[in-house]
Amino acid sequence: MAALSSIPAELAGADLAAGAVHLTVREEIYPLDAVFAAAFTFIKDAWVVVDRADDAHWKVVLTPKAAGADAAALETQVGAFANELLACAYRHRLAAANRATVEAVTNAALAGALGPPSFDELEQFDFSNDAFEDPLGIAQSWEDKYGKKAKPDDGAPAGASDGADDDGGAA
Amino acid sequence: MIELRFHKDVYAGEAVDAAVKQFARFAALETSEAPRHWVVRVTGRSAARERTVAGELGNHALGATAHRRQAAP
Repeated sequence: MAALSSIPAELAGADLAAGAVHLTVREEIYPLDAVFAAAFTFIKDAWVVVDRADDAHWKVVLTPKAAGADAAALETQVGAFANELLACAYRHRLAAANRATVEAVTNAALAGALGPPSFDELEQFDFSNDAFEDPLGIAQSWEDKYGKKAKPDDGAPAGASDGADDDGGAA
Repeated sequence: MIELRFHKDVYAGEAVDAAVKQFARFAALETSEAPRHWVVRVTGRSAARERTVAGELGNHALGATAHRRQAAP
């Protein structure tokens, strides 16, 4: 088993006689679904076997289908796989973190795709416009809440103003 | 003869069986079960053929297992 110059020997190694290279990764960082996803992108160019190295590690063995791969080619292959595996693990983590959001959006989209309500559903729908409880006055308009209060002697007719604020007739 | 060992923590037994069934016409395949592995022995007409059949059988089992995991997480 030959060591690779760019990857620590405890993580990866090459079997030049068999034309294979292996990578050992921690299960805690790289879940099996991420390993599968990364392996799946390589099955066109290589034969891939996933094994359990120990209780906490996966061992991925890549054998390029093209015979005669040298150490440099094997190192390139395992490096590319390591990068892909990192990307897959990150996508896996993002998907898990955003699962609730994705489910909510999907449910809303599916509910909208069900089409307009039926007559039976409309018949049961509550169309009353009763005001809801608003103890804090959040639903009040600004004018209702802070507008001028009408004075008791403010009973003059609309056309009886003194014209001070009437900018239409001065010219 | 090439011996393939598929760890039971990784590969679904049904996926390995499906791969064996798929490649049985290309080489002689013998299956057995170890405590922690599904074992498949591949015997072909030539070393090159054995290597190819064993590799593709492994890829097929991997793909089938991944497909099963997606279908029933």
